[in-house]
Amino acid sequence: MSSYLKESWAEFWAGGISKLGVIFLLTVVVISIYTLLNFPLDYGTRYWNNPKYWADNPKASMPVWVNLFTAQKFLNHFSMSTRIPSKAFLSGGHYLKFYNVSYELTVNQFPTFITIKLEDVVYYRKAPSVKVIVQRPDGRVMELYTLIVESPVPGEKPPYVRYSDEPKKIILSGNTYVAMVLSKFLAREYKISVAPSDIMDVGYEAVIFGYPGDDGKFKPLKGIYNLSVVLYAKDGKDKIGRVTFVVGGQVYGLMGTDTLGRDLAQGLLFGFPVALLIGFTTSFLTTLIGASLGIVGGYMGGKIDDLIQRVSDVVNNLPQLPLLIFLTFIFGGKLWIIVAVLIAFGWPNLVIVVRSMILQIKSSPFVEAAVSIGASKWRIMARHIFPQVAPYILSQMIFYTPSAILSEAALSFLGLGDPSIPTWGQILEYGFDNGAVYLGYWWWILPPGLLIVFSAVTFVLIALGLEPVVNPRLRRWR
Amino acid sequence: MGLGKTLTIKGLSLLFVLFCVLFLTVIIIGATGVSDRILSAILSDRVRAFRQEMATKITDPEKLNEAVEEYRRAQISSLGLDKPWYIRMPSMVWRIITLDLGNARTVISFSGSNKIADIILERMPNTVFLMVTVLIVNFLLSLAIGVKVATKPGSFLDRFVSLYSAVSYALPTWWLAMILILVFAFYIRIFPFGGMFSTPPPTDPFWRCLDLAWHLCLPVTTLVIALSGSWIYITRSIVITVAQEDFVTAARAKGLPEKLVLWRYIVRVAAPPILTNLILGLAFYLTGAILTETVFSWPGIGLLYFNAIMSVDEALILALTYVFTLIYVIARFVLEVLYVIVDPRVRYK
Repeated sequence: MSSYLKESWAEFWAGGISKLGVIFLLTVVVISIYTLLNFPLDYGTRYWNNPKYWADNPKASMPVWVNLFTAQKFLNHFSMSTRIPSKAFLSGGHYLKFYNVSYELTVNQFPTFITIKLEDVVYYRKAPSVKVIVQRPDGRVMELYTLIVESPVPGEKPPYVRYSDEPKKIILSGNTYVAMVLSKFLAREYKISVAPSDIMDVGYEAVIFGYPGDDGKFKPLKGIYNLSVVLYAKDGKDKIGRVTFVVGGQVYGLMGTDTLGRDLAQGLLFGFPVALLIGFTTSFLTTLIGASLGIVGGYMGGKIDDLIQRVSDVVNNLPQLPLLIFLTFIFGGKLWIIVAVLIAFGWPNLVIVVRSMILQIKSSPFVEAAVSIGASKWRIMARHIFPQVAPYILSQMIFYTPSAILSEAALSFLGLGDPSIPTWGQILEYGFDNGAVYLGYWWWILPPGLLIVFSAVTFVLIALGLEPVVNPRLRRWR
Repeated sequence: MGLGKTLTIKGLSLLFVLFCVLFLTVIIIGATGVSDRILSAILSDRVRAFRQEMATKITDPEKLNEAVEEYRRAQISSLGLDKPWYIRMPSMVWRIITLDLGNARTVISFSGSNKIADIILERMPNTVFLMVTVLIVNFLLSLAIGVKVATKPGSFLDRFVSLYSAVSYALPTWWLAMILILVFAFYIRIFPFGGMFSTPPPTDPFWRCLDLAWHLCLPVTTLVIALSGSWIYITRSIVITVAQEDFVTAARAKGLPEKLVLWRYIVRVAAPPILTNLILGLAFYLTGAILTETVFSWPGIGLLYFNAIMSVDEALILALTYVFTLIYVIARFVLEVLYVIVDPRVRYK
């Protein structure tokens, strides 16, 4: 047996197709493991389908690397957090703590918005105040915003914690107070008078990140900006748990975002283990059922065989997708239901082929020998017949895997997927529903489909590589 | 076994399949309470219509309510809503067969009716038209290329076909459709985004046909790319298997020209199994058609399916599941007949 395995492996490994398939499979498996280690299992409900989590991201923006191919460069989306103050000192009875990040504007574009998020502000005596300060590359400084943290409510004991459940979001663009500051800034620094109510027309970002050109229009001021949040506290122990600066851009991450601002790279990554799970579970159980029924029916014959044949004939004659749609629609889009339905429709094909193979094997001398020494029917099926058809069954299992992945993707695309688990099919569905095809959002349409094809091709290649092992007649053609 | 008997058995077994599907679906919708909802929807539609009709005749609101209530009670018992689902199963099966499932929730037929039967019957020809076009193109393509490749196994073209069929097996048709739209409709702008005719459609019959062909290009290309690979591959394998038979060697030994051997001896024998695979492949066509129609907004029953799912229209989905099964079974039967005609061995077995 082991020499047979060795020989088969050598035959399998000899083909370039099989090598490619194995490399692809390893890639898929490694990425899946990485994803499972780095993503929580409830990622779908907790993050992916939670629009709040993605609120700060730019909507429907291209991936960062498009800048490598375009003449006109797009502004990268910027988001950075800091937990530790860069400096802290006592001044005029206040403890000042500076939370800084530096932001570099490298392209000829204004950011689309600027937002600051504060989390877990802790204070012990009086409510502190928080100032947002921007220091520009030309040395000019703007004190854009002041926030007084909410005072203790009667009966509350220190330490007082604020913004722990929901971060405090300071949206600078559109804020009337910020408009006033900017109006004064323009009057002071550039001797331009713009009424606070007109700042909106000029653009908050244009004033913060630009300078007035000769033609009266604002030009982006490239260089390094120092964005800081300063905490004015009465107690030295007061602190801000986390400060996040978000400067809106037009390109985001490795894979861009969708119209909800979701990072497509994350959704695509999460699709790997899901695809593997669907593919493996479905193909394994389908093959298990199909092969056992085929072996039992073929060897036992008689009424059992008739029954199995009739049932598989009926199921095999059913149009799959309409019934898949019907069943998942009625029973709801749970992942296990989709898998169960796929199994229910997948097994008969294998029964028919395995049964015909068994009928041949059944009459061969070694089976007759086993019968004559009194081996039981089950023993003959398990020990003598199964090993004969095992390679074929294995190759069928691998060959069925892509069709399971593709069927799930198709159901997801029709809006019948499991909404709590992001899959490639669902990303495509959401893209199609939101007109990604008609708006030319290629980064939303291409990658999920390519990944479906990639994972499916992986199994097809391995199955092709197994073919000469299973069917020696084909050897001479390869 | 005579020809008639063979076909009768085939027909009966397919009819049996159809009934299995019907009973399965009726049991499922009965047990999950969906059939109650469908019938209630029919009931409230009828009651509303009745009230409107009566309101013109009876002016006294008291009497009107009484009449409507009477009518409602009569309808409940005639629809079987007062009985449990397993008792009204036969009538539900009959309802599905006759497509008497009430009105669609949001979809309206082109002529303005919202009766499910009207909508489906109106859209069916569009789907059949698309599918038949693809079927013919694919069959010719696979026969031409498959036979050519089989004569030179191991050649570059042969390797390419193997790879192509492997990749196309792994290719989601609907995704390919989106990519083709993105490339040819959005970027290059030579084909329409979807639909069957331009708006407004040309009135002249000639231009109308041309317009249809123009709209047909992308959907057909999609389905041909997605499905031809496996067909060519299957044709190739069958032809190769036949080419190894002794009678082919004998024909060659007789000194017959290679072309004659190929078409008279090999392809003739290989054609029936190729046709069988065509029958088996039909399921994929149907699948491909549902999703491709959706992406190309081709006004067939595939797109209707998608709309029904989107508007959570249970009755419409039920009707469409039945219609798809029906089309599938009929198409299979037609191909079985073809098969018997092509392969005389089946008749006399």
